[in-house]
Amino acid sequence: MKPLRSVLCASAALAFASLAEAGEVSFMVFGDPAEKAAYQELATSFMAKRPDIEVKITHIPGQSDYRKRLATDFAAGAPADVTLINYRRYAGFAAKNVLEPLGPYFEKSTVIKATDFYEEAILPYMWKGTLTCLPQNLSSLVVYYNKNLFDEAKLAYPSDDWTWDDFVSTAKALTKDIDGDGATDQFGIGTEASVFRLAPTVWQNGGDIVDDPAKPTRLTLDTPAAKEALQWFVDLQVKHKVMPDRVNEASEDSDSRFQNGRLAMFLNSRRGVPAYREITGFGWDVAPLPQGKQKAGILHADAFCMSASTKDKPSTWAFIEYAMSADGQTILAKSGRTVPSMKSVANSKAFLDPSVAPSRSNVFLDGIGDIRAVPVMETWVDIESVIGKELERGVFGEATVDEVIEAATKRTLDYFPK
Amino acid sequence: MGQSATMRWLLLAPFAIGTLFLIVLPALMTFALAFFEYDALSPPAWRGLANFSEAFHDPVFYTAAWNSLIFVGFAVPLRILGAMALALLLERRRQGTSAYRAAVFLPTVVPDVAYALIWLWIFNPLYGPLNLMLAAFGIKGAAWLVNPDTALGALIFMSLFQIGEGFVLTLAALRQIPTDYYEAARIDGATPERCFWHITLPLIAPWLFLLFARDVVITLQSSFTAAYLMTGGGPYYATFLMPIMIYEEAFDRFRFGLASAMMLTVFAAVAVTLYAVQKMMRHWLHEDHV
Amino acid sequence: MKTMSEKAAFWSFIRYHPWRLLAALLFTVPLVWVVGFSLRQPGLPPPRSIEWIPDPIVWGNYARIFDIVPLATFLGNSLMVAAIAVPVTLLTASFAGFAMARSDLKFRQRMVLVCVLLMLVPVTALWLARFILFVNLGVIDTIWPLVAPAIMGSSPLFVLLYYWSFRRIPNEQFDAAHLDGASALGLWHHVAMPQARAATVTVTVLAFIFYWSDFFSPLLYLKSEERYTLPVALQIMQQMDKTNWPLLMAGATFMTAPVVVMFLLVQRHFWPDESKGEKTSAVAG
Repeated sequence: MKPLRSVLCASAALAFASLAEAGEVSFMVFGDPAEKAAYQELATSFMAKRPDIEVKITHIPGQSDYRKRLATDFAAGAPADVTLINYRRYAGFAAKNVLEPLGPYFEKSTVIKATDFYEEAILPYMWKGTLTCLPQNLSSLVVYYNKNLFDEAKLAYPSDDWTWDDFVSTAKALTKDIDGDGATDQFGIGTEASVFRLAPTVWQNGGDIVDDPAKPTRLTLDTPAAKEALQWFVDLQVKHKVMPDRVNEASEDSDSRFQNGRLAMFLNSRRGVPAYREITGFGWDVAPLPQGKQKAGILHADAFCMSASTKDKPSTWAFIEYAMSADGQTILAKSGRTVPSMKSVANSKAFLDPSVAPSRSNVFLDGIGDIRAVPVMETWVDIESVIGKELERGVFGEATVDEVIEAATKRTLDYFPK
Repeated sequence: MGQSATMRWLLLAPFAIGTLFLIVLPALMTFALAFFEYDALSPPAWRGLANFSEAFHDPVFYTAAWNSLIFVGFAVPLRILGAMALALLLERRRQGTSAYRAAVFLPTVVPDVAYALIWLWIFNPLYGPLNLMLAAFGIKGAAWLVNPDTALGALIFMSLFQIGEGFVLTLAALRQIPTDYYEAARIDGATPERCFWHITLPLIAPWLFLLFARDVVITLQSSFTAAYLMTGGGPYYATFLMPIMIYEEAFDRFRFGLASAMMLTVFAAVAVTLYAVQKMMRHWLHEDHV
Repeated sequence: MKTMSEKAAFWSFIRYHPWRLLAALLFTVPLVWVVGFSLRQPGLPPPRSIEWIPDPIVWGNYARIFDIVPLATFLGNSLMVAAIAVPVTLLTASFAGFAMARSDLKFRQRMVLVCVLLMLVPVTALWLARFILFVNLGVIDTIWPLVAPAIMGSSPLFVLLYYWSFRRIPNEQFDAAHLDGASALGLWHHVAMPQARAATVTVTVLAFIFYWSDFFSPLLYLKSEERYTLPVALQIMQQMDKTNWPLLMAGATFMTAPVVVMFLLVQRHFWPDESKGEKTSAVAG
């Protein structure tokens, strides 16, 4: 029995060693290893300044698993002290009062002040009149392109004012069956069949996805302008076949196809940059989204949020404050991960340096004036998930645009306030 | 004697306490929660039957229920048939039997996550060995997990290889049939086929019922792991199963009450099914072998 | 006469093996594919036909998986869970099985029924409530929720396996030991356990597989990376690079190999007709 007892004691000791001590801040992030490295650098440089505080990073590689993990952690009453939450998703947590509003801390700060930051990134984090989390970045959606594939096809790189039609014809020229077996091996475009990727197209066409962005009560994809945009989006796969179909996407997703050099243009936010910088096989750059009837881009922002259950709030705030300061923003900007939410850093060499890819980082800043956000509401995650499933059917040719719109509108109705 | 009775209870205590704490108490909690609104953050609020009516008004709930029904309805009978076939094939000992038995049992010991990952690769429509092998025979493979029409079938298919438990149970059932039954039948001139229908099957029927009941439960669970890790319920709800829906309601949306109500519904459905099957098989189950 | 029986033996050999061999291949070939593919050079274009042995053979894949995730830590954690849970399981399951076996007929029958009914409870259905329980006990992000099922013998099946083993021991042996002044615990230790070795081996292996494979408990209850177990490691590897199949298959093989080896070493105890005197119909749970 003796060995058993000692094993039990040892594991009890191990188990209780986990309880957070003062001066310890846990920080949960998602992303690939390159992104994790950026946050690790941020934490290390903070700890060098504040040796009394230890920042421990928990890294979740997958974004959907990160979302699930956030939910279970809050339900378990054991969230990390600092979490990175997208503006489309924080409202559900804010409504449950599990986030410590950061507005009061922010106002008292002597290091950072509101006017330092782009308000396009800050405003979506106002929940019921209080600033809840502090956004690290504001990326818009851009087109990443493989320069080598453009060169091989003798195509000019995308210009800043290219149109939807230019986009389609470029994509067609870049879609190829290389080994001649009748199946496409190189696709022109890759994106996600999600409302988040679709929205800028709808806006550019003069439509909208909800009736009232401030107080939405239903989807408005059935308006002619929105429907036309949706049809165009779906046709990229269904009609023009320049996008991977379901089988190809499932065999290898567009992001890895792009990284493996078999996809010419990939729609993504700034997030992809750290991983793409590790690409050695080809050169790449970014271009703005092609233009429709009017200019519009879509906001991507992730913010540092503090959990209401955090024990050592001063230390935790100190870390968030540092991450939001010029020093912190510079570290993340250099890693390539973020378009800094702080104006001065965004316009500095740390972000714009043309000697590291992408050389046209100004594309991200030029679009800020036209950037729009999806509605901030508790049930937005569910709404997006329902539309996504319907949209996927449209993009992969399993349902018509009318069917997609009807099903998405009807099935999301319950998630909107009556 | 009194002392040994005390001792017996003491020996039984860990098992009894563990069962109370890990099974009985959670079961009661689930039952109670079904009538409350609870998000694990604020105290539960009484909701009466509202959770049930919400579930029954959600079309996705019916999709999930139907998918689960299809899964269990196909997987369980096929798994039992497979286990029986293997047991009959490998019942008598000869040279090599032991190796064969070990071989068919092998997939059963593979950890769930590894098993899911392995089949995710095998089913890969372009590079997966299943389609490559079919192509070698000149057959054009399907998109398996990617096609809404075949995804659920693919999950059922992969579950047919983890039947070690049923195999051993059926083997044990076959071993307990006295050999003189068969000898008597042979003297009467019965064919092996008649022997199977009139001796083997009736005598192993109670075991098969037990296996059926257990397999319904196991299948519900293994279908969840596979769908959670491999398809996430897709494509387009094709593998969206009851346990996935319950998991999402509870752990993605903090709606423990609604999830509990769905859980109770599943419980009730399983109980009714088992009761009905037991009634149907009653004339076979008269002998209790437990 | 001799040639006749040889001929018969030959034909019975021919009739016996092919079907069984086919069944065995059906169940093992996918695993062979996996092991083969795990040795493939990562980054090569995917094969266009089945490749049984890759060229070149890259053993380095097994070293690589230790680089991309802290696999050694996760392995240690998994072993720790098993090292606590398996011995506790053996104790509680054999205690309960012993208490049942030494009871009167009526109680025995009831307990067997209880165990069978417990085996019919879908564990998935209890996660939600167990989760709330463990949250309220404040044991989130500790090893305890992972090893908790060991208190109840991990599975009612293990209790039954011990029960069946102990029932096979003649009562006279217990009576004799009892007359010699042995206590109940003494009977368990000196009479019952030594004669239930096959059950102990079976339960050890099955319980090990149970804890080694457990995916959802760590997913729900563990929060810090340094406490993760192997199943979580495999999921992390998949999220990090979901198309790097050679490495993923190396991870799957790495995780599966120990249980396969264990199973092969003790499989003879699994089959109902094998062990002398003891009938242990093993059912994986």
